[in-house]
Amino acid sequence: MGMFGTEIEIEGSAPADVGWLNAGADIVLKGDGGDTTAHCAATGNIYVSGRTGTRSGALMKDDPKFPAPEFWVLRKTGSFSFEFMGGGIGVICGLGYEDKDSVMGDRSCVGMVGGTVYFRGKAKGLSEDVWVMDLDENDKEFLKEGLPRFLKKIDKTDSLETLSDMSQWKKVVAKTYEERAVKSLIPMHDFRMERWVEGGIFGDIIDEDYYVADYVETDENRLKYPEWQNAHYSAPCEYNCPVFIPTQKRISLLRQDRLQEALELILDYSPFPASVCGQVCPNLCQDICSRKHVDIPVKIKELGQLSKTVEAKGFDAEQKKEKVAIIGSGGAGLTAAWHLRKMGYQVDVFEQDSVIGGKLKQVIPNERLANEVLETEIKRILDTGLNAHTNTLVDKKKFKEITDNFDAVVIAVGAHIPVVIPFEGHERLVKGLDFLKEVNKGQNPEVGEKVVVIGAGNAAMDVVIGAYEMGAKEVTAIDIQKPAAFDVEIEHVKKLGAKILWPRYTDKVTEKGVHLKDGTLLEADTVIIAIGDRPDFGFLDRDWLTEKGLVKMNEYLQCEGNNKVFMTGDAIKQGLFTHALGDGRKAAINIDKMLQGRKLDNFEKAPVIPQDKVKNEYYHPLNAQSVSEMEAGDETMRCMSCGFCRDCSFCLEVCPEQAITRVANADGTFEYISNPSKCIGCGICAGVCPCGVWEMYDMVDKMMES
Amino acid sequence: MKVNKISRDDLDWKIAYRPDRCTLCGKCVAACPFKSIEVGVEKRRKVISDHFTPEPKIEFKTIPVIRQKVNEYEFCSGCGICERVCPNEAINPERNSDSRLGAKYRATVADPYKRGGRANLSTGERTLDKIRVGRISQMTDPSLDALRHTFDMLAPFGRVLPAGEMPFDIQNGKLVMNDAPPKVNWIYPIVIGDMSIGALSWRMWEAMAIATAYLNEECGIPIRMCSGEGGVPVRLLKSKYLKYTILQIASGHFGWNRIINAMPYMQELPAGVLIKIGQGAKPGDGGLLQAKKVAPHISEIRGVPKADLLSPPNHQGLYSIEESVQKMFLSFNAAFKFQVPVSIKVAASSTSVSVYNNLLRDPYNIVGGFFMDGINGGTGAANEISLDHTGHPIVSKLRDCYNAAVHQGKQGQIPLWAGGGLGQNWNLAADAFKMMALGANGVFTGKLMLQLAGCVGNDKGKCNACNTGLCPVGICTQNPALVKRLDIDKAAEHIVNYFISTDYELKKMLAPIGNSSLPVGRSDCLIYEDKAVADRLNIQYSC
Repeated sequence: MGMFGTEIEIEGSAPADVGWLNAGADIVLKGDGGDTTAHCAATGNIYVSGRTGTRSGALMKDDPKFPAPEFWVLRKTGSFSFEFMGGGIGVICGLGYEDKDSVMGDRSCVGMVGGTVYFRGKAKGLSEDVWVMDLDENDKEFLKEGLPRFLKKIDKTDSLETLSDMSQWKKVVAKTYEERAVKSLIPMHDFRMERWVEGGIFGDIIDEDYYVADYVETDENRLKYPEWQNAHYSAPCEYNCPVFIPTQKRISLLRQDRLQEALELILDYSPFPASVCGQVCPNLCQDICSRKHVDIPVKIKELGQLSKTVEAKGFDAEQKKEKVAIIGSGGAGLTAAWHLRKMGYQVDVFEQDSVIGGKLKQVIPNERLANEVLETEIKRILDTGLNAHTNTLVDKKKFKEITDNFDAVVIAVGAHIPVVIPFEGHERLVKGLDFLKEVNKGQNPEVGEKVVVIGAGNAAMDVVIGAYEMGAKEVTAIDIQKPAAFDVEIEHVKKLGAKILWPRYTDKVTEKGVHLKDGTLLEADTVIIAIGDRPDFGFLDRDWLTEKGLVKMNEYLQCEGNNKVFMTGDAIKQGLFTHALGDGRKAAINIDKMLQGRKLDNFEKAPVIPQDKVKNEYYHPLNAQSVSEMEAGDETMRCMSCGFCRDCSFCLEVCPEQAITRVANADGTFEYISNPSKCIGCGICAGVCPCGVWEMYDMVDKMMES
Repeated sequence: MKVNKISRDDLDWKIAYRPDRCTLCGKCVAACPFKSIEVGVEKRRKVISDHFTPEPKIEFKTIPVIRQKVNEYEFCSGCGICERVCPNEAINPERNSDSRLGAKYRATVADPYKRGGRANLSTGERTLDKIRVGRISQMTDPSLDALRHTFDMLAPFGRVLPAGEMPFDIQNGKLVMNDAPPKVNWIYPIVIGDMSIGALSWRMWEAMAIATAYLNEECGIPIRMCSGEGGVPVRLLKSKYLKYTILQIASGHFGWNRIINAMPYMQELPAGVLIKIGQGAKPGDGGLLQAKKVAPHISEIRGVPKADLLSPPNHQGLYSIEESVQKMFLSFNAAFKFQVPVSIKVAASSTSVSVYNNLLRDPYNIVGGFFMDGINGGTGAANEISLDHTGHPIVSKLRDCYNAAVHQGKQGQIPLWAGGGLGQNWNLAADAFKMMALGANGVFTGKLMLQLAGCVGNDKGKCNACNTGLCPVGICTQNPALVKRLDIDKAAEHIVNYFISTDYELKKMLAPIGNSSLPVGRSDCLIYEDKAVADRLNIQYSC
């Protein structure tokens, strides 16, 4: 710890720590030094004429306010010398160790950050914190000046010549901070490409390009992708309609101001838009209409009425030679005839009654179906050029004649045998069907003041209406179960004053009225039974029928007894007029397919659109009053166009990647297309689409399958 | 909405969405593999009056928004990828402390709730974290310097014979070895593994294999990786890098046909064979790979069709410890001509000490190590009930086994390796050091490797959807669309960098206690601030 002005001279060797914390002294050690010689020396000079031990020169420093410390060693130092050296100069002359592999032992200069160590001879195991370099001119000048001084201090001037060969010297300097930061490890990518198993260890079983995808990608690397699938789903109205009438498409045409096309479109499905859709149909379409989730269903009934006077078009197709016979001129028969005529077939309709129209004409009260409307629509059908044969009973003989002479036959005979329950006094009953037929023919059947109607289905409600028309004062309908009639019908008869009771079980019928099994009496002057009708298949062979008396048929409506005979309407199963119309259309289409030699259709519908795909959030609810004041044509504003693109271009505007374009096709149609090279598969188009037309597909699943 | 319908408040994670910050760029919905968020539209409706007298005026808007899906199958796992890709801080998952998903899921699906990842119940401070290295070499004995000193950081994988049993003879006054001693591979005291191909994507598995090779070849860290039970790529088997791989055989024996058939073509011997009997995350269960992850290449490498691949809970041929020693150990020792050490891995259990005691008899000198896996280990798929409620903490069990060996004077003869949640708090060096001081010869680590590679899961129920095949970062899935997200080079690099740090940190712990070799059994250097635990572990109680 000597300061400036101190001079220490040691004769012979010394133990450890000579020059420890030297702060300016000149120290001459004429012999060997122990460990940690010059440890922490910060200024002054230390001259050693022999060797020094381990950690010599460790932690030497250089304070800029003082001359740099110097540490001269004639022979060698031990291992770990100049550890953590921060500054100053060490000189290791290596005299006598020229042949040894290190003049600084092993692992010297660890953690060295500053200063210079000159050495003569070899050094091994130096730390990676330092560079070993050749001397430059300044270094040589320093040594040439210093060596004589050093040798003189230790009385070894005779070695000057040996040590003055500068080619034997090198120096150690610390790496700079920046140099130290450099990592020498090979980049991982290079290691994989150059040293790792060629092509990767899975290269023989997996196609791998090692491309690194972003979380958000386009094209094949998307997790999902969109498709514009117009009319991929059925709209609820279309799905629920037995005739498959796509109201959403009609309204779409209206929305495009293609009024005439809209009104005509329905005639592609039903020739009775005003009579059935507009009047007698309970409008299953409206029951399920998506709009009910916003306010009230779209007024499809009224839309039907608008098509009453539309002219029949499309009947100019080339006349075909094949002939089709239709037995029965009710809803089913006339619808089949309409479509077959449209396709150019020769059509003959055989009707047992004196008038065309079947039950539509025969039994529906004028109140429910205005005769004028029905006549208009029947005329439109007859005007298509079919041959109607009224007052023509089809019996076995006639049926054989028909099947022999026609290429296809439609059985549309309906159900005209009223069902009667054989309880006591059943012979007193008036049959509902007969009663209604008489009413409609203007025969004014007599009824008493008090009427009980057994049955409370839709037909029974018609009977109730008829009874009031014929002068009854008090009409009661009874049923053994919850009335099957539609709410609207029930409401209607209740307004007329009728009572509907259930469950009520009839015991017997007497002149007093209906005696119920619980002992009560419903007084009645007239009792009418209206619990359903059965078809009359007297004209068919027994073996065409099942044990229950129904015709054996397949899913294409073909009779098993003869494939060119098709079943429709109530002759299959009693249902709505709409069902009969639907069957008529199906039979016509399948007859065409059969005659053209194509595969028949079982008319499976596209699945109904999931309700959550139709976004009712876009529509402000309107109160019932304002809806009722709207024109039917204004329903374009309320129809939500389920599954059918309304061309609003919301998707196009909202797409964050501007991936969507609208393409107008030559035929007047259009489509929206998402460009895969731009689309990231976010699903915004599908999420915002008011109609549920955009569908997202999962790329994750798809790739797993491949 | 009805009472029994699942609602947002039932889910583990709620999506916090800030429509005012959202530009509907679509990134979050494009990136979420769980389909837990979707785009929808919302109504904004107000009927107001802005006149001096009541005059209704309707304000009506329909606004596209991002929203959470609420059902039992597409619920948010909390992975937070939405948050990562959102440029506007408009969306992130938020933990729902009122979650009832565990009840709703079971009540609706009538099936045990399954997931992957880790146990989610033990989220408190771990015993290992509270163990401190409290004995510092200072005036009593010299400490070392982590930088300057040479450390012998090697652990035995293989049967170590005591000096007296080594096959030495004295011939002509010289010591001569007259028989081959059991093969011992001296390796780094941390083994990576054992996670199967199938549980992990091929990129993840290969990244670990590359990292292992790199650490050996470029960094001088002789680490080994255990294959897991899902087969081994033939190309690896035939490469020089096989020497860094420990082959695993488990009860399903998946992929061993290819391993055996590759034997004639092996340039190098594998580093070892590890017989897996049990796993800490789901003790009593065998492996479970959900069909969703059995892609064609997995079918091929394992030799089974697409199905839920269940490894039996037991090796079908084993009924006793004695039999396992005789059959499994002998077979695999013999398969590689006694040149590859064979070890065994079990789930830590109350009975582990008995098993270890029995193994220690080892009359044939063929038991090359005893690996014990604690309850905090990970898994690709398990019933949650197994993950959270079965298993045994590793710390005291490791200690008990070590003490049992000491009691017999046989410590170190069958090396003890411990794992299960090590590195859980990101510091594997500290955990490894403490486990070794308690008696482990080395440790093994798995999940941490995945987290280094990019796994976003944690031990508090975040993500842990490893069983779904929909890993959002491409680590635990076989789906190309998702695997593509993983950068194989970055994954390998991060593992390498972590071990370079860990190697240094291990030395930083060895130096102050003055050990230049691994501190196996140096429990004198450990202290604990809880008396009961200190007594249980037989380390110094300090306060």
